[in-house]
Amino acid sequence: MTQTMPETTSTTAASARGLTRTYGRGDAQVHALRGVDLDLPAGRFTAIMGPSGSGKSTLMHCLAGLDQPTGGSVTVADRRLEAMSDDQLTLFRREHLGFVFQSFNLLPMLTAGQNILLPLELAGRPADRERYDLLTDTLGIADRLGHRPSELSGGQQQRVAIARALIARPAIVFADEPTGNLDSESSAEVLGFLRRSVRELGQTVVMVTHELDAAAYADDVVVIADGAVRAHLVDPTADQLVATLRGER
Amino acid sequence: MRTVLLASLRTHARRYVAAAVAVVIGVSFVVVTSALSAATKDGLVAGVGLPYADADSVVSAIGTDDAATVVRRAAAAGDSAAVLGYVPLPVSSGGKVADQDADIAPIADDPALRWQELRAGTWPSGPGEAVVDVNAAKTNGLDVGDTIRVGAGSRALEARVVGTVDSPSASAGGSVYLFWSDLERWSSSFYVDSVAYLGAGAEQAAAGTGATVQPAAEFVQERQAELTREVDVIAILLLVFAAIALFVSVLVIANTFTILFAQRTRDLALLRCVGTTRRQLLRAMRVEALVLGVAASGLGLVVGTVLGWALVAIARSQMPTGTMGSAAVSPAWYAGSFAVGLLVTVVAAWLPTRKVVRVSPLAALRPDSGVDVRSTAGRVRTASGVLALVLGAGLLVVAMSSNSVPAMLAGGMVSFTGVLVLGPLVVPALVRAAGSPVRGTTARLATGNAVRNPRRTAATTASLLIGVTLTTAVLTGLASSRTAVAGDLDADHPVDLAITSATGPLPASLLGDVQSTAGVSEAVALDGIDAEAAGLGTLPVIAPDGVDGVVRDTGLVVPEPGTIVVPWDLLPDGNVPERLAVTVDGRTERLLVSVSEGWGEAALVAPETLARLTADPLPRAVWVRADDAADAEDLAGDLGALATNAGVDLTDGYAERHWVELQLDILTGAVAALLGIAVVIALIGIGNTLGLSVLERARENALLRALGLTRRQLRRMLAAEAVLLSVVATVLGTLIGVLFAWVAVRTMVDVAVEDVSMVLPWGQLAVVVLVSGVAGLLAGVLPARRAARIVPAAGLALD
Repeated sequence: MTQTMPETTSTTAASARGLTRTYGRGDAQVHALRGVDLDLPAGRFTAIMGPSGSGKSTLMHCLAGLDQPTGGSVTVADRRLEAMSDDQLTLFRREHLGFVFQSFNLLPMLTAGQNILLPLELAGRPADRERYDLLTDTLGIADRLGHRPSELSGGQQQRVAIARALIARPAIVFADEPTGNLDSESSAEVLGFLRRSVRELGQTVVMVTHELDAAAYADDVVVIADGAVRAHLVDPTADQLVATLRGER
Repeated sequence: MRTVLLASLRTHARRYVAAAVAVVIGVSFVVVTSALSAATKDGLVAGVGLPYADADSVVSAIGTDDAATVVRRAAAAGDSAAVLGYVPLPVSSGGKVADQDADIAPIADDPALRWQELRAGTWPSGPGEAVVDVNAAKTNGLDVGDTIRVGAGSRALEARVVGTVDSPSASAGGSVYLFWSDLERWSSSFYVDSVAYLGAGAEQAAAGTGATVQPAAEFVQERQAELTREVDVIAILLLVFAAIALFVSVLVIANTFTILFAQRTRDLALLRCVGTTRRQLLRAMRVEALVLGVAASGLGLVVGTVLGWALVAIARSQMPTGTMGSAAVSPAWYAGSFAVGLLVTVVAAWLPTRKVVRVSPLAALRPDSGVDVRSTAGRVRTASGVLALVLGAGLLVVAMSSNSVPAMLAGGMVSFTGVLVLGPLVVPALVRAAGSPVRGTTARLATGNAVRNPRRTAATTASLLIGVTLTTAVLTGLASSRTAVAGDLDADHPVDLAITSATGPLPASLLGDVQSTAGVSEAVALDGIDAEAAGLGTLPVIAPDGVDGVVRDTGLVVPEPGTIVVPWDLLPDGNVPERLAVTVDGRTERLLVSVSEGWGEAALVAPETLARLTADPLPRAVWVRADDAADAEDLAGDLGALATNAGVDLTDGYAERHWVELQLDILTGAVAALLGIAVVIALIGIGNTLGLSVLERARENALLRALGLTRRQLRRMLAAEAVLLSVVATVLGTLIGVLFAWVAVRTMVDVAVEDVSMVLPWGQLAVVVLVSGVAGLLAGVLPARRAARIVPAAGLALD
């Protein structure tokens, strides 16, 4: 890890206690999360894995303040999220979180450069030229900044999204299936960048994925099944990971 | 396909609401037009035949003197003739003005030719007796047994009210009926409509007058046809407004379909994947449009019928003396309105449906790459737009130089079409320009959103552009012609109100009383003297002095020394002598004569001339300037009471000025309201486009919320988008409208009135811009609220 530490001071970037999330009522009720206890360490690249419908996306949404949990508590960057109002949550996301989604990451009416600077603009913070140049150079998109998303390849779009997620030095970057729509070469690039942001910039990255190859880039892997944490593996080997996933099936 | 069609209609019904509302408004407009014109026709035509029911012939196209001749000859031949017409005169009773401007009409001497229906009292038995229309009696507080004073000045007539009558014929009706022999004294200002003739000698009686003599039945038929035509002209004008509203509806509906189909691309592609043929898909889409058209047009018929009958009922209850008959809409008209509504919907859906079936089955399988339906303006579009613009401008220039109205209309339409065609180029550029000075992320995002699909932006604003262009053109045109009318009014009525004494001086207290009357801005007493004018008898001569603050047209009223200005009314037979000898106490002045009117029955001379005629003139007249906001009826009533108590006459030019201005106000208001309907439809369209775009951009908005856009910012962003669209359309429309008005004034008014200057009704234009800005904001409220309610996680999960 380098000296450029992000704003988080505790060693735990995010934690959940007794987290539940229920959708619908009566017969149609779905328990997406059934009491999740989890601590995500700062300065690490954590992958959240699980099959479709396991609740991994819901977990990420709750941790990222995009969705209100039904019960339990969520603490991110030393702040309790479950008691926050919508506006407080919005400001919290704006100040402390970065996002990379599977698809539809960029606003089509803005250029790549404008998309990257959007979080700073929304927060009313001055553009950090140095970091902007560093990120765009590192991600290899410096020559594409004047283009609109429709003029970029899928891999380029995801790299722009990563730059945007990192521009405001967030406490945590949440990535939701960031390689779901990419070919293997672009996937490798994107995952490589996410890992480098942890190693070289000291960021904390939490990535939801169902791909083993993607999870292999992570430091830690949290395995979710049926709305609960099945395992929290620290620096797992490939064999360990496969064994845990297989055991769960 | 039927299950798919029904399910799709159920699912998307709410999204069609705006398009349906547009059709309903257009169709009900057409139905209401028919109901109103039928009621008007019914009222106008109903009583046309009555005055001639028992007559053998009708003499028409005849002057007052000739009409008098016909009546005399008929009496001599043992036939009877009744003059139909009226003269507007003030009527007072018990020292109070009952009606400043009552229509005094003749009642036939021969009971067989009386078409009025006696309600109370008796028929008049001879001159000096009057009957009063029952409604007019109610309004003016007259009753059987009252003595009324009709007219003013030396020719005023006292008559006793002996009965009240109903006047079932609107065309021949009056407020007060007198015998023809009583009315002949006002022959110079009496308007003769026709003479009903009972007997065989009509031809001989009218011989030498050049008047038309027809059998009564033939005359009535022609008259009815003529009135019907006049109403039809108004109905056609209303239909023009309805057509504008329907055209705007087409734009709104076409836009709705385009957006809806774009959103359903994946559904439709999936249908193609599972084996729907192109033809089936096309038919399904069109049936969907057809169902919408049938439902909306049907609803439009109902709404129009209810509204039409309600309006007629309101008009009848508000104006008991008015001419509204009963409303009716023919089955053919209903069928036509329905067909128009249906046609509008189907035509509007035609192009979007054709585009949508080109979707390839593969589109369903492709991952959702987000919405990026950019469209661009092609070269053909640009070229044809510029061509139309240049051609239209050329036609407008030709129209102005040759005062050709057809060229103007053609030029207006062609150039405006050019503007619409160039919309996808021009409007986004204007939106960008309008949005750029506003700082802040929300404003920039709103601008970006507003212009991302140039064609949609242009189509959305086009409807509002049409409404605003027409509205501002009409408002500006009317304001400009208004100044021309105002000039004419100043010349015709140089004095708002004048109190003139025919004999003897005015009471000393009168000026003070007038000055303290509400609504009087300024009043000046004028000195004068009774003079003997050669050939005219005794004539009050007054000298306007220090009247600059009172008169509206100074040059016309204040005479040069050595001249005398005589009112038209006082010259027998309209013969204007070159010079007039005026004598006071043996002093005679021979004065140059000029003729004018607008201040009552007195001649005007310069103060110097008056001084040479008499050493001690006395106040003979009070001239009054009304407040701009004064109520014409109150003022006439108050001053009329003062004048009547003093035994002198009131001349009211203000009432007519006020009436003309009221007509212009009503015209302006009516046109603005009618065009307002198109503007309302356009604003519904903007709300609709925005609402559909919000659905389309649900994921995008969720992404923005995830990145830290607060609910309030999101709402503000969407509101800003709506305001940007409506303000750009409004400002562009206002500019084009003012330009069109300028062309119209140069082309049409220039011919009739010299030196027409362009007048911009700044206040009204500002209201137009403000109203559509606020309405745009309102149009964005619902979509914005809906968009802001969605939780980011839910929005992101949307497909």
